[in-house]
Amino acid sequence: MEAEHPMTFADQVRAIPGGEHLEMCFSCGTCVSKCMIQQKLEPEYNPRRLLRMVMMDMREEAFKSPTTWLCSTCDLCYPACPQEIHISGVIGAVKSLAVEAGYTSPLETVSVDETLCSGCGICVMTCPYEAPHLIEKEVNGVMDRFSEVDKDKCMGCGMCVAACPMGAIARPGVSNPELVNQIKIKKHKDAPSLVVFICDWSLRADDDLTILESYPENVRVIHIPCSGRIDPQMALIALRSGIDGVLVCGCAPGECHYQRGTYVSACKISLLDSMLGQMDLADGRVRFVQLGTQDRGRIRHEIDGMLAGLQREAA
Amino acid sequence: MVDAARHPKIDVRTYTNVERVEGYVGNFKVQLREKARLVDVDRCNGCGECAKVCPIEVPNYFEMNLAPRKAAYVAMSQSVPLKYTIDEEACIHCYKCVEACGPLDAIDFSQEDKVVWEDIGSIVVATGFNHFDPSVIPEYGYGRFPNVITAMEMERLNNSAGPTVGNLIRPGDGKNPQRLAIINCVGSRDKRFNPWCSNFCCMYAIKNAVLLKQANPEMEISIYYIDIRTPSKGYEEFYERARGMGIHFIQGRPSLITQDDNTGNLFVHSEDVALGRVIEKEYDMVMLNQAAVPQPDVDTVSSVLNISQSPGGWFMEYHPKLRPVDSPTDGIFLAGACQGQKDIPASVSSGLACASRAGRILHSEEWQIEPIIAQVWEDRCISAQGKQCGLCAKACPYGAITVETGKAAQVTTAKCHGCGGCVAECPHNAITQMHFTDAQILAQIRALLAEKPEEKIFAFRCQWCSYGGADLAGTSHFDYSANERGIRVMCSARMDSDFIYEAFRLGAGAVLYSGCHPQDCHYITGQRVGATRADRLMKAFEKMGMSPGRFRVEWISAAEGDKYSRVINEMQETLNAIGPEKLHEENEMLRPEMEKRARRMYEVPLVTEASDYSDEMRQAMSDMEEPHGS
Repeated sequence: MEAEHPMTFADQVRAIPGGEHLEMCFSCGTCVSKCMIQQKLEPEYNPRRLLRMVMMDMREEAFKSPTTWLCSTCDLCYPACPQEIHISGVIGAVKSLAVEAGYTSPLETVSVDETLCSGCGICVMTCPYEAPHLIEKEVNGVMDRFSEVDKDKCMGCGMCVAACPMGAIARPGVSNPELVNQIKIKKHKDAPSLVVFICDWSLRADDDLTILESYPENVRVIHIPCSGRIDPQMALIALRSGIDGVLVCGCAPGECHYQRGTYVSACKISLLDSMLGQMDLADGRVRFVQLGTQDRGRIRHEIDGMLAGLQREAA
Repeated sequence: MVDAARHPKIDVRTYTNVERVEGYVGNFKVQLREKARLVDVDRCNGCGECAKVCPIEVPNYFEMNLAPRKAAYVAMSQSVPLKYTIDEEACIHCYKCVEACGPLDAIDFSQEDKVVWEDIGSIVVATGFNHFDPSVIPEYGYGRFPNVITAMEMERLNNSAGPTVGNLIRPGDGKNPQRLAIINCVGSRDKRFNPWCSNFCCMYAIKNAVLLKQANPEMEISIYYIDIRTPSKGYEEFYERARGMGIHFIQGRPSLITQDDNTGNLFVHSEDVALGRVIEKEYDMVMLNQAAVPQPDVDTVSSVLNISQSPGGWFMEYHPKLRPVDSPTDGIFLAGACQGQKDIPASVSSGLACASRAGRILHSEEWQIEPIIAQVWEDRCISAQGKQCGLCAKACPYGAITVETGKAAQVTTAKCHGCGGCVAECPHNAITQMHFTDAQILAQIRALLAEKPEEKIFAFRCQWCSYGGADLAGTSHFDYSANERGIRVMCSARMDSDFIYEAFRLGAGAVLYSGCHPQDCHYITGQRVGATRADRLMKAFEKMGMSPGRFRVEWISAAEGDKYSRVINEMQETLNAIGPEKLHEENEMLRPEMEKRARRMYEVPLVTEASDYSDEMRQAMSDMEEPHGS
């Protein structure tokens, strides 16, 4: 009997694991302000409204909404939601329905250069979104393995770009050559030079961005989508080009916009720091800091501290 | 309060704990522990000389720990009685206070706790509520950011008798704040902490904002809210007045507060829901309007007084609409916010209601109860024979039954509410319930199943819910199978397994076991006793090979007439699906087992003989064979 009623959009979303508890939302707006996408990226981004669209059966609008595509399932909102709604789960359910309906992600995603890819599968292990997978296909009469990226799953964090040992993956804007090009500093005689790789999501307040702009030319700030994009090689290139220090800033553990980029990068950069120390090459030249959502103004202390350390080292 | 303390018929006992309560309505015996205050209250005149000389300072709880107090102290200057107390934990025994007290000689370090018993007619519980501690919400930074304060701290800072004599300052640096954010629903309407709406905070936030704005019209005040709730008389008008005064209302629950370390100013991040935009605004001070939560020792009080608690921990009233200040135990009443979050008018009303309810008891020579109480046949109770049992006491939601091995179980008549749970639980048939005796219920079952039992759906309904549900189904003209036959008992706890066995032994097609939803039970935990038994029966029938659906357990409220008719119709469908031949076959197969289990039932005398508890009846019962299941 029930089958005669067509399923509403809300029913369909609820039927997908993660899409439950949708109707519990009382529109308090916690999720919207906890998330940084609206402030940083897209003014139309609003998870609360997407939930409303689902409830009000606005299927097409929901599929076209940037909210559906931009959520990176960082789950900052989930523990803050007073109604305990797994918001990223609901958004994920809408997204999977949108993909089924033929919509595609508008995001900048990574691409694999098949002439370089060795099919090792490291990118598959690195990606938090299960976007890359290995495929086998025939090239010049020989079967070979390649990595292929599902464009609808890729969020463009660039962790795989950092992980790829062949340099076969590129993400527009932050591919290897583009980043290397940015590591160029006019050296001052008496001031140490510093490259700051800063994750775009780790700074919440506009004040913090103003702080970054206030530094003179000897401090070069390079914006990256995620600290997981930085591999040790990038730091070594910077040091080799004569720069005194490299500071990598990511989000606090548990607050990473791409789930685990900050963790991956923290491991890599700390390891590099201790290796350089053991080789007596450079002490305190490479550092990784994790900035939490409530660490307003901390970036200034970190950069000043690093510069002071390098100054001492030089003297 | 002072008037109350001076009244010749009112005896105020402060610094005293209630440790035990025995007895029943009109005849409570209460054990009190009068804690040693190390000051003789008869001698102390409240001059405060002891506090002046006391060298020890500890945080003052009354001032929300914003100010110190001495180890010799009164809680506040308006304390009644105005008698000092020495905080033994903080005291270093320098005895300067003894010197200062001088000839009054009120300080007595040899004092010890005094335990006294009092005869009490009725008890009013007015233990109030506590405040939610917002430091467990890390995103609001309470406890880390000095200028984030709670509503109660604001209350003291803005009070002319408070630590700053009414000068509102920031705890961080002592500056006067010019921009204030008030955040509502901190810990309320939040499933992570307390799912309830704390009722008075909206009005409380508006009151604070209006007070501050009146004192300082230049002040910029924003109230962040999810919904503003102003449901009582004059409340909405007050909200309107606040808006007219220029107080800023922002719909949106803040998700984060950050602090500028240099200025100590706070940034509140929230969505403005009306705009659909994330806003970040700077304030000098943030006030968190915390949730109202039950007192931390609510479990102790509820076990001492035998009051049940609702899911959040508030004390449970007898009936939310019709008996809102009565506790389930006669003679104990609930006043104010111990029963649930209430504002001042509601607390005063409930206090007045309690006074009149309690007065009714104090003025009565006799107390009438319903005649459906439980009675124990002492000669059948195995406890009297020195064996351990006590199942009846366990089933009783009111603690009306006391069992001591060697003595028969005793029912305190004044406490019994007549659910019948003990009667059904007793494995030795040593208890009966007046007007709902086994003989009476059995006669009903036998009469209703006398003809064509296999076509019948036999329903056991509880007085307060499922009977009402069936009634509603009838008055609402919902169609349901005419084969339904039902009887009424007071509670699902009274639905003895033997009755179900007997119904099936007589060949009933299907049996419905119905009562209240767990949270709605009229007898506190009676439904739970019934539900446990029903589960056991369900498993037993499954094992015996009964077709599923013939024994059905449903919790149906008095408002669910549609559910009642639906359940009966579904049961009819089940019976139709099984078919009369298979049903008959199954009944024949089950009968020996049912006969064995319900053996006691066909020895219960006819109701005409059993209507009075005559000596012959008692003899007949005690002559019975050892019943089943022991």
